[in-house]
Amino acid sequence: MARNRKSQPAAIRFGPALKAFLLCLLIGGSGVGYVWQKDQIARLGQKIRVGETALDRARDENEKLRKQLAAMRSPAFLEARIRQLDLGLAAPAPAKIWRLPEPAGEPAPPAGPGQYVARSPDAAALGEGPR
Amino acid sequence: MKKRLQHRRLFWLAGLLAAAFAGLGYRLVDLQVLRHEELASEARSNTEREILLEPRRGDILDSKGNLLATSLFVKTVCADPSLMIGHSAEVAGVLAGPLGMPREELEQRLGRWLRRNQKGETVTNRYVVLKRKVAPEDWEKARIALAGLLVAPDPDRPAKAQAEALRILREKSVFVEAIDDQQRFYPNQGLAAHVLGYVSMTEPGTNGPPIIGTAGVEGIERSFNAKLAGARGWRVTEADRQRREQISLREQDVQARDGCNVVLTIDSVIQHIVETALAEAMERHSPISISGLVVRPRTGEILALATLPSFDPNHPGAAPPDARRNRIITDVAEPGSTFKIVVISGALNERVARLGDAFDCEHGRFFYAGRVLHDHGSYDTLSVEGIVTKSSNIGAAKIGIKLGPEGVYEYIRRYGFGGPTGIPLPGEVGGIVHPVKSWSKVSIAQLPMGHGVAVTRLQMTMAMCAIANQGLLMRPMLVDRLEDARHEVIARYSPQPVRRVISEAAARDMVQALKTVTGPDGTAPKAALEHYSVAGKTGTAQKVENGAYVRGKYFSSFIGFFPSGAPELCVSITMDEPRRGYYGGQTAAPVFKEIAERAANYLNIRPDLDETGPGPLSPPLKTAALRPEPPR
Repeated sequence: MARNRKSQPAAIRFGPALKAFLLCLLIGGSGVGYVWQKDQIARLGQKIRVGETALDRARDENEKLRKQLAAMRSPAFLEARIRQLDLGLAAPAPAKIWRLPEPAGEPAPPAGPGQYVARSPDAAALGEGPR
Repeated sequence: MKKRLQHRRLFWLAGLLAAAFAGLGYRLVDLQVLRHEELASEARSNTEREILLEPRRGDILDSKGNLLATSLFVKTVCADPSLMIGHSAEVAGVLAGPLGMPREELEQRLGRWLRRNQKGETVTNRYVVLKRKVAPEDWEKARIALAGLLVAPDPDRPAKAQAEALRILREKSVFVEAIDDQQRFYPNQGLAAHVLGYVSMTEPGTNGPPIIGTAGVEGIERSFNAKLAGARGWRVTEADRQRREQISLREQDVQARDGCNVVLTIDSVIQHIVETALAEAMERHSPISISGLVVRPRTGEILALATLPSFDPNHPGAAPPDARRNRIITDVAEPGSTFKIVVISGALNERVARLGDAFDCEHGRFFYAGRVLHDHGSYDTLSVEGIVTKSSNIGAAKIGIKLGPEGVYEYIRRYGFGGPTGIPLPGEVGGIVHPVKSWSKVSIAQLPMGHGVAVTRLQMTMAMCAIANQGLLMRPMLVDRLEDARHEVIARYSPQPVRRVISEAAARDMVQALKTVTGPDGTAPKAALEHYSVAGKTGTAQKVENGAYVRGKYFSSFIGFFPSGAPELCVSITMDEPRRGYYGGQTAAPVFKEIAERAANYLNIRPDLDETGPGPLSPPLKTAALRPEPPR
């Protein structure tokens, strides 16, 4: 015969309540976690967008500076600046260039044992040392 | 009774519910099955965005890595005139400054017009391009100016509607194209313009909306367009109601592959030297055009290629078409006496003549095949070397006759005349070389002096380079390598020998003869250099118009190389109709000298003569000391 529910002690009814609570917590936590994750994705997306914009801007700036540098390095611009600043720069005449003869090749190392040649004791023991 | 009523009500209720569910079911099938494709694509088009990513066009660099052409991303500013609601004048007013356009022109473009479409409906214009190639900073200024736009209030409209219209006017009426355009920029302006070429806007075929792209039209920009252009990338993503991209919903993201950098053999300093010298000569002699080429004979590398009049590739439309033409490869003309090197070197190679062999030059008048050939001087007997020194037409004709028609034709072809050289520039022509069967009786005497044949300036220069290169003809080389955006080499081009034209011994003899040209008895003493021995040949050819030679109109040229013993550079100068002198030795030779001296100094080429004159510095380069006295 079934026992009267009202006569059950409180400690016995706590189990299903706890289960229900945990289930709610799980469902609620999953929901909050899902929303938090979506929010994080959206925030990261914004950060990526800001980063991409900054990268594009830096690239544009870099290109602009490269263009400016190239214009300033052009021979015509340099010649004009030399004239403008009256630097008196000119290429040296061939007669004013001293050409040194090509040095001979490195001298060959001495064949015999020199005073600065290091010898390993193993080499001497094997009979490979200089005689 | 009561039960029956309940049953009836229940029946009706069930019927109604069944009908409702049936209706819902039908709707479900209609939406999900019957109209699935249509609605799915509509839903996709509401949120999905396909963005094309434009690759950056590659740079063009000189041999030292100096930038000759580069690209900058720019905006295309557009507007929707239907959103102007009578405020186009105010919008034009705020945009005129940042966009650098006249206010009236902007106002005209922002004007609204109506037209009937194919269905007979009246439609208005909703898209107009205000300006292309707008720098990003200028667009930013325009955007800020537009955000501060103020318009006079309209008393007939509610304040809320006016505020909304103003917001749309400020934020949506003027916008930029989703895909950035590119602007080609040439930092050195006109330097090497004929080598670089220029670009123009094109509309490459795509599946989506029309996109304006950039493509090379002339020069390296055209011949290397496929390498420079790169490959487009794309991005498939979703956008919210404000058309902002939802980065987390990106499905495909394929980055664009930037174009390759093309590294030329051109040296911008030598190019500048050549262009400066040509400009000065242009002022002195006022020719129709003047061209200069600097080539390394050993490899065929072109260090400078210039022709005047020229143009600025930043604004190619500002120059007349004639100035944009690369005359060095597109124009042909009779070469004149420079062509003597072909027949004489052929005769030396075939051993039908030697340097010391004497030819009777008939005192300047030679009757042959019913025609009279003339020399510019009265020469009695000249050796082969003397014929080159004095540039005797009669002597060269007699050598040609001795070589025979087949021999002359063979050497003309061996030197590459009659076909393109293979330079990687568009528009090169091969010249005109008639086959022997089409020759007249006098052709054999005329061809050795450069008549009856039409060549390009590049062909003639490469022929001289073959002699300087011990008889080996090289293909002209203009591109050294291709690099990626990080300057890592993708492909390297190496010098390409075309064929051996003459033997080393014949080339040596020819160089010895050509060295006398710049001597005191030669035709080009003005081409002689103080520190280097020069070998070269002058050319003065009468121009042909309407099939007849014209008096007083000449092509003047000088092609030379130095140091003659171990040639480092070959320099060619050609003038079309020079004034104040017309002989190649008078007009072109001084230009050669100026370019050669400055280029040798810049490249630090070791001199083979000392500063006092013909004194050798070192045995391998001993050439000038061996200079023989030319026969008279």
